[in-house]
Amino acid sequence: MLPISMMNPGETARIKKITGSDKVRQHLSELGCVVDGEVTLVSRNGGNVILQVKDSRVALDSSMANRIQV
Amino acid sequence: MEIKIALAGNPNCGKTTLFNDLTGSTQYVGNWPGVTVEKKEGRLKGHKEVIIQDLPGIYSLSPYTMEEVVSRNYLVNEKPDAIINIIDGTNIERNLYLTTQILDLHIPTVIAVNMYDLVKKNGDRIDLKKLAGELGCPVIPISALRKEGGSELVEMAIDLAKKHQKAEAPHVLNGSVEHAIAHIEESISPFVEKNNLRWYAIKLFERDEKVIEELNLDAPLMKHLDMHIQDCEKEMDDDAESIITNQRYAYIQNVVDDTVHMKRARGNMTLSDRIDRVVTNRWFALPIFAVVMFLMYYISVSTVGTWATDWTNDKLFGEYITNAATAGLQAIGSPAWLESLIVGGLIGGVGTVLGFVPQMVLIFIFMAILEDSGYMARVAFIMDRVFRRFGLSGKSFVPILIGTGCGVPAIMATRTIENERDRRMTIMLCTYLPCGAKLTIIGIIVSTFFPGSMFIAPSMYFLGIAVIVLAGIALKKVGYFAGDPAPFVMELPAYHMPTVKGVAIHTWDRAKHFMIKAGTIIFSITVVLWFLQTFNFRLQMVDMDQSMLASIGHALHWIFVPLGFGSWKGTVAAISAFVAKEQATSTLALLGGFSETSSAGMHAIFAGAGVPSATLAAFSFLIFNLFDPPCLVAMVTAFREQGQARWGWYTVGFQFLVGFMMSFITYQMGAWLIYGVSFGIGQAAALVVIAFIVYSVVRKPSKGKADRLPDGQPAVK
Repeated sequence: MLPISMMNPGETARIKKITGSDKVRQHLSELGCVVDGEVTLVSRNGGNVILQVKDSRVALDSSMANRIQV
Repeated sequence: MEIKIALAGNPNCGKTTLFNDLTGSTQYVGNWPGVTVEKKEGRLKGHKEVIIQDLPGIYSLSPYTMEEVVSRNYLVNEKPDAIINIIDGTNIERNLYLTTQILDLHIPTVIAVNMYDLVKKNGDRIDLKKLAGELGCPVIPISALRKEGGSELVEMAIDLAKKHQKAEAPHVLNGSVEHAIAHIEESISPFVEKNNLRWYAIKLFERDEKVIEELNLDAPLMKHLDMHIQDCEKEMDDDAESIITNQRYAYIQNVVDDTVHMKRARGNMTLSDRIDRVVTNRWFALPIFAVVMFLMYYISVSTVGTWATDWTNDKLFGEYITNAATAGLQAIGSPAWLESLIVGGLIGGVGTVLGFVPQMVLIFIFMAILEDSGYMARVAFIMDRVFRRFGLSGKSFVPILIGTGCGVPAIMATRTIENERDRRMTIMLCTYLPCGAKLTIIGIIVSTFFPGSMFIAPSMYFLGIAVIVLAGIALKKVGYFAGDPAPFVMELPAYHMPTVKGVAIHTWDRAKHFMIKAGTIIFSITVVLWFLQTFNFRLQMVDMDQSMLASIGHALHWIFVPLGFGSWKGTVAAISAFVAKEQATSTLALLGGFSETSSAGMHAIFAGAGVPSATLAAFSFLIFNLFDPPCLVAMVTAFREQGQARWGWYTVGFQFLVGFMMSFITYQMGAWLIYGVSFGIGQAAALVVIAFIVYSVVRKPSKGKADRLPDGQPAVK
């Protein structure tokens, strides 16, 4: 497992684990980031990332991106 | 009988576009999540008894941000007669997550698959009949943008509402979860309304704090329920909330597999993704943004805008209209006071403000393009990295950028910020980039005192950003604001080519508002000011230096003497600007007789006794007006959005302090360093102020509440 921010742009992977408080995980799941779901890394800016997940694009800062493990 | 139909759906899925189509209204639409922050009501075209309710976008019925609470409360507590659940056809899976929750509410529901034209264009297929069968409610394809399918959709909703035909909730949950929920339903059935039973049961299972608080069940019952929940959690080896989420997605996955056939394979880069790879790239992102901003202000304020404004101010209002009005009034033999009111007061005052409309229209066009294209949301993402260092989230940048149009919608836009501390701080800071009205002050000062200067205007924007950053750092050191900003999570819309029509509507919306204000508020105040400057207290027409206005200005001028524009005229202009910023422009024109060819009157306003340079005083006036509290409407909005009067006063007081200090430093240090005034008490005071600012920015943060857990801190799992 590695944090999603370690992926390369264009790479696709399956989410293995999401850590963090319930509220944060809940909000991530509403946006489509759930365990076993597929994500593609679109862009990386410092530690901040843009993900393609369930046909939408979600932007996350590095502290959030580090909570998603693939 | 009135029928209430609510439009619900994810952010940026086209609710407001559909609302405008159905009701014929022109609510603001934009290509970024969070445009609608309040619920809006309108009557259906042709059916006055049907009320359509536009709600802020939500991702689920567990609200995360403030405007989402509005939607949830409305759907759950006020119960519309029917819900139109709009889902984005190009992103069905994520959108259906909310749908499965809405269907639990037992309210008649129609699903509108929006952007169906795009779905077809992409070559994807959605089996709508099957989808309707699976979800247990009607599904209708629409294109809100092209106004297709709206009437069929709303007729279906009215029909369901009249028949009270409730949605048949599909079997989303299964196994031991369903079992536990059934138990909960049974136990709480005496305490909640029958229609809400399932929804409350699921929320109790998820341990939703607000619902637990609302129902206030007795302790033994709660303990009993909790046992069921814990059993289920043990069996599934997960926490209750995640169990529900996962089962919802598993259900949706099945539905989507059965009904949606995508042409494009998942994981392939779309055009939006490829643009994002360049635009949000770690090396290019900030330079691209800086170039975009510079071009925007360079074109609309410094070059093209100035040419247009020079023409309207000097030729249109300055010559043609003034000459025609003067000739006309003299021809009909009107009294001197009427000529003075119309030519000097209204054409000189209100006309000057209107003269800046071309510059403003250009700025508004650029802003509309930024919004419609989808770039605005990316800016928030790009700026997050920069802002986070100063303790603000990138989400704060969206209101700041909107503030370049007008501060009032900027303050409203802070509602999308989920963290209260971040939100309060953003309200205090989001009016520091010059808005359309402040643009007129920049315009009149630059064209009088710095003619031909291309860089003053854009540099005011960069100065604005610097002030936001420094003020942000200083505020963060105050106990209340201490702590990390909320994590940045934001959905980015797909890029769209902005349409001429869309840009024209946005531009016209904003420009219209400005022109109406010029014709009403600015007009009235200018008439009052003209009256006060033309008569003395015995109502005799006098030279303006003996007028009532001069007396008022003299009484208050001491406030502004340290800032360099303490003449009675400068005082009146600065005070009148608190009503509306463009009033400063109108007042200056009224008192100074503004025109490109004779700037003597304007110079006279700022050249007072002991002032080394009128240019410096005018520049100080500009700085004061850019950074002091914005207009009356914006201040009222800030009071309302801060929620507590105390915070309203903090906001206005803070802004006054910042404006005053910056103007004071500009004038005192400028006089000393540039104009060779000998070092005196003013300069010493300015150095103290600078030291105070530096201290506020670099000092160690107060302890305050910094030790509390910031939102989103990783919990120990």
